[in-house]
Amino acid sequence: MDVDLPYELQLVTDLRGHEERAWQIAWNPVEPLLASCSADKSVRLYNYQPSNESLKFSHIHSIPTGHTKTVRSLAWSPSGKTLATGSFDSNVGIWEREGGHDGDEEAADWECMTLLEGHETECKSVAYSSSGTLLASCSRDKTVWVWEVHPDSDFECMGVLMEHTQDVKCVAWHPSEEILASASYDDTIKLYIDDPSEDWFCFSTLTGHKSTVWALAWSPKGSYLASSSDDLTIKIWKRVAEHKWECALELKGHERSIYSISWGKGKTGEESLGWLASTGGDGKINVWDIREPPESSTGRVLSHKLIATLSSAHDVSDVNSISWCPREGFEDLLATAGDDGSVRVWKVVPSH
Amino acid sequence: KRSGRKSKFETGRSLWIDNEGPLEQTDDSEVESIDQDEIFDLIRSIADPEHPNSLEELRVVSAEQIDVGQNHVTIEFTPTVPHCGMSTLIGLSIRVRLLRSLPQRFKVDIKVKPGSHQSELAVNKQLNDKERVAAALENPALVETLEKCLETAGMQSELYD
Repeated sequence: MDVDLPYELQLVTDLRGHEERAWQIAWNPVEPLLASCSADKSVRLYNYQPSNESLKFSHIHSIPTGHTKTVRSLAWSPSGKTLATGSFDSNVGIWEREGGHDGDEEAADWECMTLLEGHETECKSVAYSSSGTLLASCSRDKTVWVWEVHPDSDFECMGVLMEHTQDVKCVAWHPSEEILASASYDDTIKLYIDDPSEDWFCFSTLTGHKSTVWALAWSPKGSYLASSSDDLTIKIWKRVAEHKWECALELKGHERSIYSISWGKGKTGEESLGWLASTGGDGKINVWDIREPPESSTGRVLSHKLIATLSSAHDVSDVNSISWCPREGFEDLLATAGDDGSVRVWKVVPSH
Repeated sequence: KRSGRKSKFETGRSLWIDNEGPLEQTDDSEVESIDQDEIFDLIRSIADPEHPNSLEELRVVSAEQIDVGQNHVTIEFTPTVPHCGMSTLIGLSIRVRLLRSLPQRFKVDIKVKPGSHQSELAVNKQLNDKERVAAALENPALVETLEKCLETAGMQSELYD
């Protein structure tokens, strides 16, 4: 629509139901399930099935959650069996399905297995590590908590990281290693690892953004980290040594705060580092194909190409969250959540 | 028209999703243009949290400090003193008033007049962080204070009606 790009975003479905702003969506990594959370304090679950060369999404369950304030964040465990919710009421809820297995989703009930208390103010983001043995949460109280997941929904706090000087907006685990990244209102990104003989500690601070860093996304193979900011840029940080990350690329393409980014495998082959999708207060979705320079080239600059863009993705509303479906065969499927309370699913298709 | 509206906190309705906004009476097809003076009318009678005066009387807000585009409003306000501890609350009351009154298509930026506040950047950053604004509006004590500032917000418009 805007320019001649090789791909476009096709609306698969518009899922209404939240009574207030939808903050985030999370795809179940194993089953055909999509979850969304909202200022209305509920979580909605949708399943999806193939139907006439497309996908049919159906609302199958709503969890009232019992959180006393906005549910800001969601995360599925890698097994797809547990859902974590982070709320402005400062707590993290851990949810599991009771009954209704073997495809009978509608008979299933989702129960709160435990409530993780510890943050003093609004929890802004929750994330499971790739192995599912660790959960991180962050808050306006400036802290990042690392929890160890034990059987029977038992969680043990392994560390409270007090590195940021302001509100922590986002936590994200490396896709294969136990490296945690956090982004903050203090304009920085911090990286942490566990010292086997000591505690979790911050081994690096990435500076360069000129305002709040809203979101983080690791590249599918983990050698890059993307960050998006209120300074209207996305930065891509390259791993140049085991514990060293340097800014390798800056992307521009939004007119207001970039609230969310997601880095998926994409469908342009092995030479690509994948597709990076971004969205924000300008209501626009951008999709970039990111590639490494050929080995023969001396430059360290990553190549990037905007492959699809869509304005007013949620009409006049801000878009708060964007996420690629992590399941095999669905690498071209994106979901977004907006201030209009709706959740939209998009398919990236070649332009005509 | 506006003055009779109940607070959304009283009616238990959403602050964010408002399909009955008083200025939103036209079809989607015809975009209503809104000017500086209309925006000023919406905010001039907001009460100052510390003084028995309106923001207009204290010269905190003025029509000249409002910039309106097709879908975008920038409001600049001038705190009464450079160390004014109420600046965030004043900015928040302006933001909530506009959230409740303007069509949803408007993106609103609120800033203190450059050089008018010792913590200018911090105040501006907080007022324009939608997540912090959303969280603040779930704080009952803050909302109560905010509602007091906004009680008088419709008065000016009443005079004009």
